Amino acid sequence: MSSKSLSLKNISKRFGNVNALDNFNLEVGVGELVALLGPSGCGKTTALRVVAGLEHQDAGTVLVADKNISDVPAHKRNMGMVFQAYSLFPNLTVEENVAFGLQMRKVSKHLRLKKAHELLDLVGLDSQSKRFTHQLSGGQQQRVALARALAFEPEILLLDEPLSALDAQVRVNLREEIRRLQISLGTTTLFVTHDQEEAMAISDRVGVMNNGVLEQIDTPDALYNKPASSFVASFVGTMNRIPAHISNGMVEIFGSKVVALKRGNESGKVHALIRPESISVVATTTQGNAKVLTRSFMGASSNIICQTADGTIVQSLMTSASTGDLLPGSSVQLRILSSEVLVANV
Amino acid sequence: MAKALRIKFQPPLAITLLILGFFVFLPMLSAFEYSIRTPLTGGYGWTHYIWAVTEEDFLHYILRSMWLAGVTVLITLFVLVPTMTWLHLSNSKVRGLIDGLSLLPLVIPVVAFAVGAQISFPEFVQNTVLELPFLYFVLALPYAYRSLDIGLNSIPLKTITEAARSAGANWLRTITSVIIPVIRGSVMATIALTFALSLGEYTLTVLLHWDTFPTWVTYVAQDNILGAIAISMMSLIIPFLILTVITLFVPERTIQGRK
Repeated sequence: MSSKSLSLKNISKRFGNVNALDNFNLEVGVGELVALLGPSGCGKTTALRVVAGLEHQDAGTVLVADKNISDVPAHKRNMGMVFQAYSLFPNLTVEENVAFGLQMRKVSKHLRLKKAHELLDLVGLDSQSKRFTHQLSGGQQQRVALARALAFEPEILLLDEPLSALDAQVRVNLREEIRRLQISLGTTTLFVTHDQEEAMAISDRVGVMNNGVLEQIDTPDALYNKPASSFVASFVGTMNRIPAHISNGMVEIFGSKVVALKRGNESGKVHALIRPESISVVATTTQGNAKVLTRSFMGASSNIICQTADGTIVQSLMTSASTGDLLPGSSVQLRILSSEVLVANV
Repeated sequence: MAKALRIKFQPPLAITLLILGFFVFLPMLSAFEYSIRTPLTGGYGWTHYIWAVTEEDFLHYILRSMWLAGVTVLITLFVLVPTMTWLHLSNSKVRGLIDGLSLLPLVIPVVAFAVGAQISFPEFVQNTVLELPFLYFVLALPYAYRSLDIGLNSIPLKTITEAARSAGANWLRTITSVIIPVIRGSVMATIALTFALSLGEYTLTVLLHWDTFPTWVTYVAQDNILGAIAISMMSLIIPFLILTVITLFVPERTIQGRK
């Protein structure tokens, strides 16, 4: 495999009055899978298209293995790409689709068909090689698109929300398959998605974007547990925002004092940012500090939505076994399980 | 294919085809019947067809009209396919304007068009019969444009173009290896319309004092009207056969795909 590192330096791109990318920087190491995650219109797809050469940046440089490719046309960049929409050529069979990139590189018919069958075998579709693309399911079509993108041994693999048009079960299977292939082939991969579960599940690192800016790039674990900004904290996973007071670096929540990780004011009113799994709900016969609104059973865990006396809605995630007596309307005592919390300005 | 053959009998469709057949095939059958009459001996025969093909100028003019039509088709594809691909991909505001402009050949009188267009050509083009394909191209534009427009609208053009480019195809290969094969049906319709229109064009050719197959037929008709009808029948049948052969020999793979 001829995988190489990718580097975007100070990339800016505007569409009319919209700043799609604003001084955007990104480094992807050899063989690494990095996901760009963010809400619609945050600039993640633009960043990917700039790398592919399908958009040209207004400023900044794109480097592959330290070589500036900013002005190299898309067809000479040697990057495999899988699109959100089904992008197979309907006039070609499955094997001809996979061999297309090799045909453009003037590889002999024998060799390119051999390679196409190798790739189709990897994605489990070798038996479908003579079929036309309209005879395949959506998941199969995206598998063929993946095989086509990998067949010519690209330096970088670009995935533009390749799973978003698929059914839930197919998405999970295919994302695992993408990761398996990416690891076994060692292909440097940039993966754009708006689905955080998808990004967290298969990426080495995840970059969270907002308004054309990379807010934070880190491992999924660090992103979840140590978000660098209020936006990242709210966007990645579920986060309770509970009104609280801060003084001397301590925040009082549900009657307990915990250490505040500084992200907001030093004193006064703040919002404490707490994950649902860091809040426990215990039924009480006396006057508790909240009431249960709903309890959603999700198998091993249950989601409990409570309301405190001041009207704040609090979400808790607990093992289902311990939530049997948490009926809607019952009085409960909320407790914080972590010893430190992030805070954000009100 | 099999699906297409299993179309159920539908009265509205049958009535439409019947009316179409009445207006299209009845006049053709009548002309054919007229062209095989032998007034001197009575009855029917191939006399006029034999006369036509043995006329020394027959082959010359039919070949001339056919190669002129062929050049027109090439000009049409060469100019229109890349231009329209760009128009569709760029979502340019000029697309609406060009949509409208492409209809102008239908409303501009041929006399005004012939003279105006001719003087805009360089002199070395004006002096050769090669000016005709450029003018035929303009005359065929309303039909060719719409035919290609339908094809390009019916496919996910942006995605497959970008897929081709990211897989290593330059613009030329993208158009020739991906876009044209995918909209093959529209391209074939464009070829057929342009070829047929060029082969039968008369008014503009006469105005510019060139001789092609249709002008020769008119000339011949002055002496032998039945012979002229026989020639006209052949001018209908020959392009029909050529286009049928082209359709049969181009691999049948459209957007729906075939086994």
